[in-house]
Amino acid sequence: MGKTSAVIRLGYVHLRVTDLEDARNHYSNTLGMEVVHEEPGKLWLKCWDEWDHHSLVLEEGGVGLIKAGYKVEDTEALADFEHRSQQFGATTGRFSAGENHKVGDGVRITLPSEHTLELYTDMEFVGTDTGAINPEAWPRNARGVGTHWIDHALISVDDPPLIERFMTEVLDFQPAERAIESIEHPNLIGSWMSCGESPHDLAFIKGPNGKLHHFAYHLEDWGAILRAGDIFSMDDVPVDIGPTRHGITRGTTIYFFDPAGNRNEVFAGLGYRVHRDFPTINWTADQLAKGIFYHARELNEAFTSVFT
Amino acid sequence: MLSRDGAADAVQDLTISPYDVHVEVRDGETLLRAIVRKGYKYRYGCRRGGCGFCKVHLVIGEVAYERPIDSRVLTDDERVSGICLSCRAVPLTDVVIELQEGDRLRGIPQSVNSAGPAARKEGKGDSDG
Repeated sequence: MGKTSAVIRLGYVHLRVTDLEDARNHYSNTLGMEVVHEEPGKLWLKCWDEWDHHSLVLEEGGVGLIKAGYKVEDTEALADFEHRSQQFGATTGRFSAGENHKVGDGVRITLPSEHTLELYTDMEFVGTDTGAINPEAWPRNARGVGTHWIDHALISVDDPPLIERFMTEVLDFQPAERAIESIEHPNLIGSWMSCGESPHDLAFIKGPNGKLHHFAYHLEDWGAILRAGDIFSMDDVPVDIGPTRHGITRGTTIYFFDPAGNRNEVFAGLGYRVHRDFPTINWTADQLAKGIFYHARELNEAFTSVFT
Repeated sequence: MLSRDGAADAVQDLTISPYDVHVEVRDGETLLRAIVRKGYKYRYGCRRGGCGFCKVHLVIGEVAYERPIDSRVLTDDERVSGICLSCRAVPLTDVVIELQEGDRLRGIPQSVNSAGPAARKEGKGDSDG
């Protein structure tokens, strides 16, 4: 039986982009996020359906993931995660309120896969565009795709079993679905891990350490995915694959790239809920293509090779 | 940036060796965009300079980059040895490129793209993609 995790959700993604104005146009006009703060060479953005100050930080210079922030319940949980990370052998550090704009004190963990994870308890509350009192279903002024919120991230790691063990033993995540070599040889290739009831809050597949495969935005339904695809054509956004469905998580999806080449996803459909008694689903390597792209049942070359 | 006057504005000829395939590259167009517009495919990923999957060998000619390139995606050593990031490279002269080892040029069959490769290859079933 899985343990309840004190990690609430993916709170922010901090990303490098080669050209900040191209990135502003993509994330703000095409995807519909709002720029809530800016400094020279940096932008902070928020989706209309998010309560906290921001969920994306863009930094000009290069490409790829700088760090990801996960919100946790309280300072006791923060200290506990820090202690358990150290016991596991991971490098940790503390950061102070304000070091990340509008974010409170927190713990920075360098995963054994070289990714930087930041745990924090507070970010300035600003509310969604529809608010918390008799809200309308959606804001009339939403731009472009109108992404609801940043939902999950998928990273690449050299040692999947080690990272699954870290996420399970230190942060109390549970694997909702896993990719393994075969039933007889269950060597782990990837894991889709949950801290709440969502099928995945952090996922990883075998690949180079420290890299990002994609981060994903939640959309309402399949119709919204199709409409997003239309907007990608209008705005000349390179589409990796989709619209289609994943076997893993049953989510509907489009993978596409931002103007720096970071992979994004729009993702809809809560295929199921991960209760604490949820048994892990396994996909064997010979069926993994179906697990990833349920209709095509073939992996495109870029899917397993393109990371930033 | 390409100047609005002078040689950079001209259409450049791109040769993909050893296929003897010639592609006209329009003003400001990247190598990748020109090749795909012509109806060919080869190995590429994000098409925005982030992954380095579309690197090719620049055998002859000069290119400029339309956007800043992450030096971890295309290193200085690679530039010196003639590797170029085809999704961001805009030719300044006529160029000759070779695809990466293990990659091959694929054409889109039939008359879907009448200006494309199939129309130029008489009696040759080139639907291999």
